Amino acid sequence: MSALTQSRKRMKIWRYWPLYLMMLPGLAYMVLNNYLPMFGLSIAFKDIDYRKGIWASDWIGFRNFEFLFKTEDAFIITRNTLLYNGAFIVLGLGIAVVIAILLNEIRNKFAARLYQSLIILPFLISIILVSYLVYAMLSIDTGFVNKTLLPMLGIDSISWYSEPKYWPYILTFIHLWKGAGYSCIVFLAAIIGIDPEYYEAARLDGASKWMQIRTITLPMITPVITMLALLGVGRIFYSDFGLFYQVPMNSGALYETTNVIDTYVFRGLLQLGDVGMSSAAGFYQSIVGFILVLGANAIVRKFNKENALF
Amino acid sequence: MKKVRFTALVMLLACSMALAACGSSNGGTKNGGQASNAPESKIEELTVAFPMVSSAQQDIQLVEDAVNKITEQKIQARVKFMPISAGEWQQQTNLLFTSNEKLDLMFVNGSLYSGMVAKGQLIPIDELISKYGGGITKALGDYLQVARLKDGIYAVPTIRDLATSYGITFRKDLADKYSIDVSKLNTMEDIEHAFKTIKDGEGGDFTPLIPSGVGATYLENYLTYDRLGDGIGILPDYDNGLKIVNLYETDTYKEQLKRIRDWYLKGYIMKDSATNKLSTFELLRGGKGFAYFAALKPGFEEQESQASGVQVVTKELLSPIATTSTVTGAMWGIPVNTKLEGKAMEFLNLMYEDKDIINLFDWGIEGKHYVKVPGEDNVIDYPEGVTAQTTGYNMPLGWLFGNQFLSYVMKGKDADIWNKMDAFNKNAAHSKALGFSFDAAPVKTEYAAVTNVITQYKLALETGSVDPDKVLPDFINKLKSAGIDKIIQEKQKQLDAWVQAGGSK
Repeated sequence: MSALTQSRKRMKIWRYWPLYLMMLPGLAYMVLNNYLPMFGLSIAFKDIDYRKGIWASDWIGFRNFEFLFKTEDAFIITRNTLLYNGAFIVLGLGIAVVIAILLNEIRNKFAARLYQSLIILPFLISIILVSYLVYAMLSIDTGFVNKTLLPMLGIDSISWYSEPKYWPYILTFIHLWKGAGYSCIVFLAAIIGIDPEYYEAARLDGASKWMQIRTITLPMITPVITMLALLGVGRIFYSDFGLFYQVPMNSGALYETTNVIDTYVFRGLLQLGDVGMSSAAGFYQSIVGFILVLGANAIVRKFNKENALF
Repeated sequence: MKKVRFTALVMLLACSMALAACGSSNGGTKNGGQASNAPESKIEELTVAFPMVSSAQQDIQLVEDAVNKITEQKIQARVKFMPISAGEWQQQTNLLFTSNEKLDLMFVNGSLYSGMVAKGQLIPIDELISKYGGGITKALGDYLQVARLKDGIYAVPTIRDLATSYGITFRKDLADKYSIDVSKLNTMEDIEHAFKTIKDGEGGDFTPLIPSGVGATYLENYLTYDRLGDGIGILPDYDNGLKIVNLYETDTYKEQLKRIRDWYLKGYIMKDSATNKLSTFELLRGGKGFAYFAALKPGFEEQESQASGVQVVTKELLSPIATTSTVTGAMWGIPVNTKLEGKAMEFLNLMYEDKDIINLFDWGIEGKHYVKVPGEDNVIDYPEGVTAQTTGYNMPLGWLFGNQFLSYVMKGKDADIWNKMDAFNKNAAHSKALGFSFDAAPVKTEYAAVTNVITQYKLALETGSVDPDKVLPDFINKLKSAGIDKIIQEKQKQLDAWVQAGGSK
């Protein structure tokens, strides 16, 4: 029996050898690019001395990790990172799915293309430019909001860059505005891939548009949604550095609501330039991300085995 | 037969490898200075890294070739330039170190100096200097000792303005319009009075005081204390009996913040200061502002006026002072990667005494990128039909390449500038801690945390954007909980040890 499967396996390899050959460069790339550098993780536990080289430098245990947990900022940055990314995952996926469904319902080819392009446009704008667009809106001296919008409503001008309380909304809005168009492409592709016969059958049975969406479209794309959600959860400890550093113009007064792990590490180590401490931060982020992905996947599997990633 | 041939091949390979090893060890140890013009010695190649600010220099290869012509003859070495964009400097050089790439001589940014030494990135060069660095010692004099750390000297400061005086810069047209005599503005009250005149005259949204750079505060160019590098633990009045204090807890600091806040509320300060992303020159050209604080040096007025296109006048408020930071701001060191430290030092020495090499770095090739003005010995001009914009080599970093005092002066600028600068350096007062550098490595956990707290509060406070009565106590509390006292303690300990070891001598 086992001999049989083995020979069958060998047959398979033999039969598809061109495919395996094509896989080789990719595999080699992945080993070189993703696995070899993992030895570098040891840097996080070392006091790097360039005279001795990386391997011979002294081991110092978890000392490089201390600065991440030592101050009261540790709580703020962890909270901000988790809440923002949590909101981004939930709202981002929700809005992307809605947009994808809406786009799919547009029958006019030209209009569909136009809207799709318009929605994806912000994704292509550099975050630096975005930060200046926001600045043009919110600046105290010259901003559109303070100079035109608020006076029209009879409200006093607000110094946006020193009021932390507005920024969770501003940053979330910018993130959704920038990213929704891109992530909806995946859903759009999944929706287009659904067999039209389902819809025909549903229409014959007299199902309304809403019913079709609820009972055909959504269940059909649930695996894609779970997959993207899991990927998002894996990166929940990483944040979009540009968004949190550039868009608030690195304004100190806003740190309470804009400081995340990545910006904290960047600002703290700018002066020291310590590779050990920065790899410690990276290591911490990836470990937590890894555990969260495993955990989330386990939960998904409990409810619906088919939708789990592995 | 086949086997014999293989053995022969191996032998040949081994021989050639041994020979190569011989060659390089020869070059490494034998380099007997200029004296040994022995033609049989091998020409070594030095890799020299430095930051570059402007975009691609199309003729940099030609300049490199011209430098090589001189070095091949004088020190039997060739030089390979490795210009790195200034914005990527730290990242790129860190990569060079981690991958142990060939690098024999490099620019050292003063604020990273002690950190680089603590990480073992630079080698001590005392002996090399005494062996090959005659020109360096002669040109720098006592200022060379400022770069001395606990275990020796690891980098050589470039020769430029080695001290600084703090003052304020005014737009000349506005000063004239309101007949303000800037030479009479001696105190902050005088200056405030001038601001009031301007504000009343120009009215509306006009704010007289603008930042002296992107992300700059209004206090960092008016320093009555030695920041001891990073401002975390400072020395009031450049002395204080060498007792370090926490700047942010001092009364002086509090008063200064209050004044800035007062000016902010009165409308003397640009409202967007804390988030400003425009350079001072852009603001000036846009007709914004009247004055900005600045670190002065001889020729500063001229330099600023030319760079901004707006005529400015300056007034010195604090007399010239030399601190470790002003001296070690720009240096050259020999990285641990090198195997040619002797040659590297010989080349570095040329950068301090060889007029031709310095001017190749600063101005390019004579006849192609510049011509000498007839009848003058160190004044130059662009050749016919070439301007600063069209030249193939424009390196506005004279202060970076060794001894700037041997550099030519572009026509239209003060031809006597280097004499004045030399006098400025020599006459400047010395901070009592001149020569002391802090190594943050023993407290780096606290250092990262404190740095974060400072970036959070400093800019907002020192631009008057927030009320110091409310925010300053928070700031101080957070600094304490981040461990600033531990850093100051460590700094004091190192300072005491430095004094014990002989101090500034």
